[in-house]
Amino acid sequence: MMRLTQQEADPIGGITAAPIVVIGAALAVGSAVALTWVHRSEVVSPLAAIVAILLVAAAGAVAAISAAPSRAPFTAERLWVVVTLAVGAAIAEYTSTVGSNRYLYDDFGPVVIGMLILSVAPYCTWVSLALAGVLASTVLSILVVGASNSVAVDAPVGALVAVNAAPVIALSAAAAGYAYAIIAETLGWQREANRAALQRDSELRAGIARSVQQSRVSVLGREVLPFLAGIMTAERITVAEADRARELAEELRRALRAGLESTWLDDLATSLRLARGIETIVDDPSGAADLLGDDQRSALTALITWLAEPTRSELVTVSLVTDLDGGRIVISAVPAGRPPAKREIDRFIAVARAVSLGAESASTRENVRVELSYVID
Amino acid sequence: MSLGLPGHLARDSLSRSLAFAGHCAAFACLTVTIVVSVIVATVGERPNGWTGAALAAVMMLALAAVARYPSVTLTVLALVVGTGATIAFTMLVMEPGGFESTNNAVLALPRIALLLVGGAGSGSLIAIVWASLGYALGEAAAFLGVALVGGSYAPSTAAAAAFGILLVVRIFDGASRRSDPRQETGLHRASQQTRELAIRHDYELRATARLHDTALSHLIAIAAAGSGTVDERLRAGIRQDLGLIVGRDWAIDHSGQATANDRGGPRRAAPVAEPSPNGRAARGRFAGRTTAGAVTRARTAPLPAEPRPGGTTMLVQSFAAAGNAGLDVRVTGDPEILHVLGPGRAEALDAAVAQCLINVARHAGVDEAELALGLGGGEVTIAVMDSGVGFDEREVPDDRIGLRTSIRARIEQQDGTVRLWSTKGIGTTIVLTVPEGGA
Repeated sequence: MMRLTQQEADPIGGITAAPIVVIGAALAVGSAVALTWVHRSEVVSPLAAIVAILLVAAAGAVAAISAAPSRAPFTAERLWVVVTLAVGAAIAEYTSTVGSNRYLYDDFGPVVIGMLILSVAPYCTWVSLALAGVLASTVLSILVVGASNSVAVDAPVGALVAVNAAPVIALSAAAAGYAYAIIAETLGWQREANRAALQRDSELRAGIARSVQQSRVSVLGREVLPFLAGIMTAERITVAEADRARELAEELRRALRAGLESTWLDDLATSLRLARGIETIVDDPSGAADLLGDDQRSALTALITWLAEPTRSELVTVSLVTDLDGGRIVISAVPAGRPPAKREIDRFIAVARAVSLGAESASTRENVRVELSYVID
Repeated sequence: MSLGLPGHLARDSLSRSLAFAGHCAAFACLTVTIVVSVIVATVGERPNGWTGAALAAVMMLALAAVARYPSVTLTVLALVVGTGATIAFTMLVMEPGGFESTNNAVLALPRIALLLVGGAGSGSLIAIVWASLGYALGEAAAFLGVALVGGSYAPSTAAAAAFGILLVVRIFDGASRRSDPRQETGLHRASQQTRELAIRHDYELRATARLHDTALSHLIAIAAAGSGTVDERLRAGIRQDLGLIVGRDWAIDHSGQATANDRGGPRRAAPVAEPSPNGRAARGRFAGRTTAGAVTRARTAPLPAEPRPGGTTMLVQSFAAAGNAGLDVRVTGDPEILHVLGPGRAEALDAAVAQCLINVARHAGVDEAELALGLGGGEVTIAVMDSGVGFDEREVPDDRIGLRTSIRARIEQQDGTVRLWSTKGIGTTIVLTVPEGGA
């Protein structure tokens, strides 16, 4: 719970939130410029003021770029880079108005730090967001003590410190609160979903017991069992029957081997081929698909299912290559018309990364290629 | 495990999370208000500070009530209480000689808390309505408060900024769900499908193993015998096996359905003349066997029990298989210890032991085997031993599958282990271990 981010627990939510980081960063830069203009009369060092705005812009750029789905996952270090740059901006702003800062209310430092922390909330744990807020407000408090001599209001320093830190505290409290609540909501749903899935499993089993009658092994069973019954009641075995027995034995062996060597991925390909008429080829000589965890399987299934739409692809191939400490899964599709937008593929890339798969994609007019990689612990 | 929130829940979950975030920020603002008031009262020696702290505390209580029970009544109540507190607070703060106007950092705090009260219902629109109401009431309270003590009113920049941030977040949340990438990505559906595929795969593998155990040896015997009269023992074997499965869903493991003469212990029968299809070359080995260390791709998760007719009978399949194959089985230990296992697990163990005995009969070149049963350390252990020809693991091709599916996969599905020792000319021991309990 404390170690999870929304991006990890709910990857699609993380991707959806990416634009809000850009908006937040833009608003932060806008606020910095606007408030600098408002307190321009207090500025003693224009250079420091410009540096402060540039640092805000840098912090915003780092946040926005880091949150892009193609760069997922957003690591904890990225939060600290953003916060450090923003705090640097606050220090530069302090320097720009040092000695003549009459009003703390029009300083952009606290609000900009708070806004940046809030906008990256979907990508960080609530603990790290809260910690970022506390550390940033500590630094700001030191600055306020320095500025308290020039402030117009006659108030105790402690009150100034508290009021000045309020934007950072409130916004990072909102960020931490959001991160905490969304994880609680997601995990709560997952518990519920798992309980429902377990219940569905037993229904599924009953359903499969009937539907398996269509499968290869059932068809074989329907031939083998009557044949044996025939032999049991017959007086003699004919040459043809002996041959038939040999054939059936071979088929049974083959079916058993095919069943053993195929994986859930082959079954997925078969079902897509039957249901959608898209040629889906799986090349998995070592059965590596079985090494994937449940969530990794879900991510791969979602991608393959999405690609294997008649409007999207003509052919989908999935090949798995293993080496000593991991493996690669290459999914490539021949687009049916226009190749899918990078933005759409990026969604799956981000999901794959959320379930600890390495993921890269490359698309051309002729071929869409996604490469996933995993490491065996 | 399911990845993330499904589309139909995302709206409410996100809405609740954002409301919670707003409440956290509001609590932070009111906490700062209390801290500032207390500092003013103590360090600044202005007793009005205590009143300010008390007003903020009252707002906090109202907010806590809404956060806990988000009903319309409580929301309205919290807004009314908050407005009253803000009027009083403005009157305290705006006493002559202090701030120039109501647009200051201290007066912004309760106003921001007021617009973050949020309230009943979920969804962006409702949230925006409540926030607008809170914002308007906050400004009205400041206006009224400053009018009562005489000072100049100015709208709070900070409260306006907070309102702006809330609008951006809520509008973004509402708009981003319209395109519905959750539906498009189908992650929830995919995880259901993955689960279904895994179950289906397990099921088919089990069905195949079942058919393999039941039918393959007979087919091979028929093929090898060639034309001629049907061997009586072969006929009896087929009858016995078909009796187990005909008229039922053969793909599901059954137990407790053995014929009466096979119950309760070893039975002596003539050795089987059942050469493998590869002729004599395959004799003396476990035909359907991989090397002991071969990687099994069986899933190790325990499978839920399958529907099963009848009560539990111990090692029925094993004794039936031994009897059918003409194998004399000596048993040490009490088969009743299998009662510590769940019916599904006991059955899986029985089926695996049966397959071990079939292998002994088919390949070991002896007509007796020994079963040793033990219970200890939370596990049931059964050793199947023969003093037959044995084999060299390295000589067994990797593609042999009998041991792998029929024995190893079954046991590993029950979280158990299979260990195998074999020496040429001395014999083979297979030890099957499964934990107590299970389905």
